Formats: sequence, structure tokens, C-alpha cells
Amino acid sequence: MIDKDFDLTRRSFIDHVLKASAGVGMASAAPWAAFAAGAEPAQSDRVRLGVIGTGDRGRALIQNIAKTRNCTVAAICDNYGPHLAKGRALVAAATPAFTDHRAMLDAGGIDAVVIATPLHLHARHSFDVFDAGLHVWCEKAMARTIADCGAMVKRSQDSRKILQIGHQRMFHPTYLNALRRVKAGEIGSVTQIRASWHRNNSWRRPVPADATDRQINWRLYRDSSAGLMTELATHQLQVGNWFLDAAPTRVIGSGSICFWKDGREVYDHVALIYEYAGGRKFIYTSLLNNARYGCEEQIQGSTGTIEPELGRIYQEVPPKVLALQRMQKDVARGHKRTVPIGGATWFPELPVTTPGESLGWGEFDETMLQFEAFGEAVRRGTPVPGLLRQAYHASVASLMGEQAMDSGRPVDWPSSLVSV
Amino acid sequence: MGTRIELHLFGAADDSATVEARRAIEAVDDALTIHRPSPTTALNECLMAGRKVAIDDPVLFDALIEIEAAYVATQGLFDPAADARSGAAGWGAVSFDRSNARIEASQPVALDLGGFGKGFALDRACDALRSAGVLSALLSAGESSIAVIGEHPLGGGWPFAIPHPLRPEQVLVELELRDEALSISSTVGAGAHAPDRAAMIRPTDGAIVTGQRSTVAVDFSGARAEVMSTALLVADEDQASRFLDGQQTRCLLFDFVREATMTASPVGLVA
Repeated sequence: MIDKDFDLTRRSFIDHVLKASAGVGMASAAPWAAFAAGAEPAQSDRVRLGVIGTGDRGRALIQNIAKTRNCTVAAICDNYGPHLAKGRALVAAATPAFTDHRAMLDAGGIDAVVIATPLHLHARHSFDVFDAGLHVWCEKAMARTIADCGAMVKRSQDSRKILQIGHQRMFHPTYLNALRRVKAGEIGSVTQIRASWHRNNSWRRPVPADATDRQINWRLYRDSSAGLMTELATHQLQVGNWFLDAAPTRVIGSGSICFWKDGREVYDHVALIYEYAGGRKFIYTSLLNNARYGCEEQIQGSTGTIEPELGRIYQEVPPKVLALQRMQKDVARGHKRTVPIGGATWFPELPVTTPGESLGWGEFDETMLQFEAFGEAVRRGTPVPGLLRQAYHASVASLMGEQAMDSGRPVDWPSSLVSV
Repeated sequence: MGTRIELHLFGAADDSATVEARRAIEAVDDALTIHRPSPTTALNECLMAGRKVAIDDPVLFDALIEIEAAYVATQGLFDPAADARSGAAGWGAVSFDRSNARIEASQPVALDLGGFGKGFALDRACDALRSAGVLSALLSAGESSIAVIGEHPLGGGWPFAIPHPLRPEQVLVELELRDEALSISSTVGAGAHAPDRAAMIRPTDGAIVTGQRSTVAVDFSGARAEVMSTALLVADEDQASRFLDGQQTRCLLFDFVREATMTASPVGLVA
């Protein structure tokens, strides 16, 4: 793609984000969207980012950072040689590369740090970056424990440095448009969200000879990850909290290692119900041996449903009137008319398969946009409004879900969270 | 019976009327079902094994009396023992000793009283409602069996329209009922393609009925209406003509194969 083409695509993408975020109630529901879309381009004097962790995710982030108009990768770091080598291939040849993140911080020449390391390292790496007087962009989930999530927020506040967590759906124009239509009342009162992330693979990666299983497959072990909850559910819990405009009050759940009995420590099946004020619910399942239902959030209102991953909105289908029920009503109002029979006397309550309509706007540069927002925040010295609260609550929700499954008991929303 | 039954009562009626009608329907279902252990499944096991068996269940006994009469009245066209899948011999192999409540078969047979049971259940429910003083009611068993008590609550007969099975937006026939029952049978239409529905066979020669037909029967008895609509559906043309002559039951036969070659409405042979 030539630069001009990309500019057009980018402009179209930003226009869609702005249009979606301009709806009634959107300024308070997604204040970050307009902030991000309004980021000033900076062909020079870009925000210099150091990237810790150049594995698959870190390299994807580097590629998205390269698309931004206000950030640049100024240093990279990874303690695993092959990953660092792959990271080097994506940045300018003169970009410093480190095997120790402290050495990268000590070397200077960066304004902020992107953390794309295993989950259990997020907190420690964030603390080190804040201690170095720099800002932090960290992959979700925030940290391995609720306490560490809170400590990251507190360190950010105390140091007056920005902490931003990667939740790209908040910048996705389809999600923003979905929220706009919810706020406009198009699907009525939203009382339930049913979400899933179903895959059919082991989630286990091959381990090279020069690495350890726990180094490569850190997602499968409890020391370093809460598995499906922190790596997948966090995204969808953020969507749940966002669309229900609240944090959950309580969660119950069941988890098991049901299919991939290969020595992993984290669940390969999770099923949870998060309760929200007013009796509303977020019902979640994730598993690793059936992909039919894939990744989706079904946002269910009294007059319609939205499925943002599919980009569809569906209106409720009016119930059919059965002939004998109509006859009863006719008699009650003194009206005699012919009763059609030989048809259904009841209707099976099968899933409705109406095609719905498109939510539109299929461009997917949301990860780029969240970095532009981060760059703008770093330049202004003020956080992108609303983001950290969403991320913090999503991470806490994912970890309290793990607690509920481990204990087999309901877990209440913590009362001692850091105020954001 | 695996069927949804609805009772619509009008006018003053004791609450117990509905309860009694429901009990009557459940008693028929308990006696005649073959989808769970029942007096009928016990009877079938004996008949398939070639054993003579005593009929202890009064509901099944009453049903067998009506079935025997229906078999004779329809000249064998209604046969609950006919089964193309098993090649069963049919009711002709059955010997029912009514006075001693015993039954046996000269060859293995099994009874499927599902269709008959709907009308039979409606009859018994109507009896219960009438005994409770109900003067106006509509009962339905599934999508094709209706019984009414008395007149329509707003006066006159109960008006019904039966949709065309191939073009549901069109009315095939309209008719009125008073203290009568109606049964519809069809080889075409949505219900005819249910996955577990067995092919219709003509009991008199074992032929599978391939024609596109619908039949409607109206009788004071729901069981007889079921019998007549079923028998007429499987009858060949000669049998149908003979069968329709002199029937007390109002019967309609619609042949949609012939309809396709005609400019007028479907063929309706009315008795």
C-alpha cells in the first residue's frame, strides 16, 4: 500500500470513529475516542517508545506503532534471542536492542515503554518504568493479581505518569457504532450479554531447543497466567462492563481442565456468570476444543441484539399469533371470524436466523489508533480519559472470575480497589 | 400421543371441568402411547411374541372395541397394525374376543394407536366437559384434530378454514362444526415431511401411498373422524368412491395431482 492509499484509509477510519463517538451519550461512554481521533500528527518529534517483549504480540505492536503519525520505536528489548532478532528485523537498523529491560531504561533516549511480556511480569516491569520516570503502555491483562493491578494504577498516579492498557476494542469503529446504537435505544434495555471465545486448538506452542516450556507456554501455567481468563476473557469483560456501564457486583463460575490434559495448570474450559446491578448478567464461556461459536459478544436488549464481532444488529421478531389464541381474543371482543386450522398450534422456540443488518465499518486499525492516543497523552502529559478505569475493572473482573472458579463460591466485587 | 392439546372453554364452567378433561386425555395417553411403557406396549410385546393376552386396561379395551368397528366400517382401510417397515400382517391377523377381553394374533403384529388416539382422547375430554355442564368449547389435538362442544360462543356454528397444504396462503375449504369433531390427514404439506414420519401404506394391498392428497372428515366422534380421514387418504380411487357412498361422516378428498392438470379448484369428493 502506498502512503497516499494508507492516508485515505486512515482518514476514513478516523472519520468513522468520530462519527460513532458523536452520538448521544457517547462523550461520557467513550471519551477516549474523540481524544484519539483528534491526536495531532507529528512527523517530527515523535514520542519515542521502548518495547519490552518482542514475541508475537510485541512484534504486532511494533508494526502498529509504525503506522502511527506520532510515535516511533526507539529501542527494543527481549531476553530471548530469537525473539529479539525478529524484533530487530522490524525496526530501523540503528535502533538499540537490549536483553535486559533495566539496561534499556538506563540507556535513555525513550519517552515511554511498551510492555508485551508474560502477564506475571507486567507489574514488575511497569514499576521499573515508572521508577525511571517514563510512561507505560502495557498489554492486557494488567497483572497476575488484583493487588498488582491496583499497585500499577497507584504507581501511575503517584508518579504522575501515564498508564495505558491495550484494549483495542474501545477504539474499534464497529464497537463504537454498536455502543452508539445501544445508547440511542435501538435494542431497548440491555439486560444480558452472552459472550464466548471458543477455539479448537491446544494453545500450546512448540518449544525450541534453546527455550523452556514455561518460557514459551507461559499462558498455560498459573505462576505466569490465569489462562483463558486473563488472555481472552479480559477483552470481553471490558466490553461487558462498557456496554452495561458498570462493574459487576458478583461472579460465580466453574472451570476445568477438561480436554487438554497435557500437564497444563490453567483451565481449558471456563463458564461464568457475572452479575450486575438491576439483575443484569454477563454470561461467559471459553474453551479450547470446539470453535463453532468462536469469539463473540451477544448484546441482548428487549428489542434487539447486537453481535459486534460479526458486525450485525438484529431486531426482535414479533411473536406469531396462533390461530386459537386469536380466536379467544376475537370472542372476548365479540367478533366471530373463521379460525384457520391445519397450521401450527404452537411454535417451536428455535433460534431466530434473521440476517439482521450490518453495523458497517470494517477497517481494523484500532490498535494503531490506541497508540496514537497514547502518543498524544504522553505529549500532553495527561492520560487518555476513561481508558484506565475500563482496563483496571476488566482485569479485576477476569481475576475474580478465576477466584470464583478456584473456590467454587461466589466472589463479590472487591471493595478495596484503587480509585481511578 | 406426542401432541399438544388445547382446551378453550367459553361461558360458565366449573374449574373442575378442565381438570376432569385433562385427566381424561392423560388417561388415554397413558393407555395408548407407544413412546414409553404402557398397556399398549405390553400388549404389543405379547402380540409380537405370538401370545394370547388379557386386556386389563379399560381405556385400551374401549379403544380396541372402536378400532375393531372402524376396521370393519372402512373395509380394512383403517388398520393400526399395518406397518410397511416391519411388514406386519395387520389387523386381519388379530382376533379380539370382546366378551372375554382377550386378544391374540395369528402372525406378529404391533398396534400404533397414535392418530386414532388423538380423536379418542378428544371424545373422552368432550364427554368430561359435557358432564361438567360445559356448553361451548373448542378442543384441539395437534395441528389436525379439532372437536367442538355446542355452538360458537357468539352463536351459530364454529367456522374453520383449512389452508391449502401446498399453498398455505390459500384456503382449501371452509366448514362449520356444531358438536362435532374434525380430522385432517395429508400426504403433503409441512407436517408430511417430519423426519420420523413413516410412509403411509394402503393396508389392503401394502402399497405405499405416493399420491398428493389431503382428506378431511367431520363426525360426531373424534375417533371416527380420525379413522375416516386416515382411511380415505390411503384408499385407491375405486375404494374411495365406494367408501364415500353412504357414509354418515362428512368426508372430503382432495387430490392435488389431479388438481395440477385442472383449471378449477382441487377435486373434492364429498360424502
